[in-house]
Amino acid sequence: MSKIRNLKISLLLGIMCMFLTLGIAIQINTVKNSTTTVGKTLVENELRDSTLRWKQRYEEAYAELEDKEEELNSLREQVASKDESYGGLTNKLEQYNLLLGNTELIGKGIIITLKDGDSDKVKGYATDYIVHDGDILEVVNALKNAGAEAISVNGQRIISNTGISCVGNVITINGEKVGVPYEIQAIGLTSQLYGSVTMPGGYLELLENAGVQVDVEQVEKETIIIPRYNGIYKFNYATIYE
Amino acid sequence: MKAKITMTISIACIALILTLVMFTQFKTVDETDITAIETMRETELRTELASWKEKYEEVRTTIEERESKIKEYEDELLNDANTSSILENEVKESEAYLGYTSLKGQGIIVTLKDNDIYNIEYQDLLRLINELNNAGAEAISINDERIVSMSEVTMVNNRIILVNAKRISGPYTVKAIGDKKYFESALSIKGGYIDEIKAAGKDIEYVTDDNVIVPAYDDTEKRELKYAREYIESEE
Repeated sequence: MSKIRNLKISLLLGIMCMFLTLGIAIQINTVKNSTTTVGKTLVENELRDSTLRWKQRYEEAYAELEDKEEELNSLREQVASKDESYGGLTNKLEQYNLLLGNTELIGKGIIITLKDGDSDKVKGYATDYIVHDGDILEVVNALKNAGAEAISVNGQRIISNTGISCVGNVITINGEKVGVPYEIQAIGLTSQLYGSVTMPGGYLELLENAGVQVDVEQVEKETIIIPRYNGIYKFNYATIYE
Repeated sequence: MKAKITMTISIACIALILTLVMFTQFKTVDETDITAIETMRETELRTELASWKEKYEEVRTTIEERESKIKEYEDELLNDANTSSILENEVKESEAYLGYTSLKGQGIIVTLKDNDIYNIEYQDLLRLINELNNAGAEAISINDERIVSMSEVTMVNNRIILVNAKRISGPYTVKAIGDKKYFESALSIKGGYIDEIKAAGKDIEYVTDDNVIVPAYDDTEKRELKYAREYIESEE
């Protein structure tokens, strides 16, 4: 009796052990397979790491630059306080920095949000209801025409030499990637901005008819904050011509 | 007898736990594979890396410039000089970036002309400015209108083109200062801007030059900010 029982137990244990070994073997195999793909991505992982490192270095350097600019500003004020005639110059410089995009700005205005159309709801070709770089260019141009004082798209400040381009299927502004939804903020006289961009026959109407999801929000309170330009003004080719 | 039963049960329990662990393990392996596919590919990463490096270098050189300016200011404060040439220089520099001074340098001059069949439209000019900016333009003008941060290019009555709210007419001469070779290749790349304009039946010509002169913006008083003011973080 006890012999049969013992046999049963060892048989059960044996089967269990077999399953376990099988499982382990399969597992080892999968890991092996994935290591070959990991091998392929090893280079990519290294690249990813160093990309992140350089990005971090850039951010640290940028913070340092901001500190230097603050220091410079306080020195300017000190110089200006020495002589009244300098006060005019520092005021001018401050005003210029606002226009150049070297500071954050706050004010009222409008916020336009563009999203790719829903492929289930919209008929027609995908190229029609997807937001392109050219569409953002047109909307920004329309806002300038409507008298906007400052514009940003997904946190990218629009300055005189901002380029909007498309690399593969990613849109870049000021050389930085931006993704859907595209939030275009503009500071200015709200009613004028709104009236101008929503005009019948205007570009937004065109986009909406093509199936793009367009949302325009009028902001009457001073709550729109437009970030500073996160690049650097520098001339490598141009010199002042007098 | 009792001891045997407890042993069997405990072994069974251990085996169950092991199997469970293994299954979760299988799942994680699966998931990591998916994220590996989702992330960027090698070439993409390389360009990304290069652009961050470039940006970093740019910031570093600017920090050095700022440091030397800080030193100049400090010297000036120490020496108690009567004129603030640094401040004046800084104002001048900012005016150059704002477009308030004429600039000169190497670059490209692109001419777009209406022909018997097709007229140049505002989109053609808007896109050209954008292409030149993407190619690193430092200053751009259309006819004599300097492009500044809030410059628009529009069309009224389907034929009159306005830049900076001023009427301009053809031929449209677009001047840009920057790397002339880069401009040339950016515009004349196969299927690029020039090809597209030509395919649309419109006339386009360009010439690169070492001494392109881009005029100053002359409506400086119009650029006062009425609705925007500096945001100081302590406000909220």
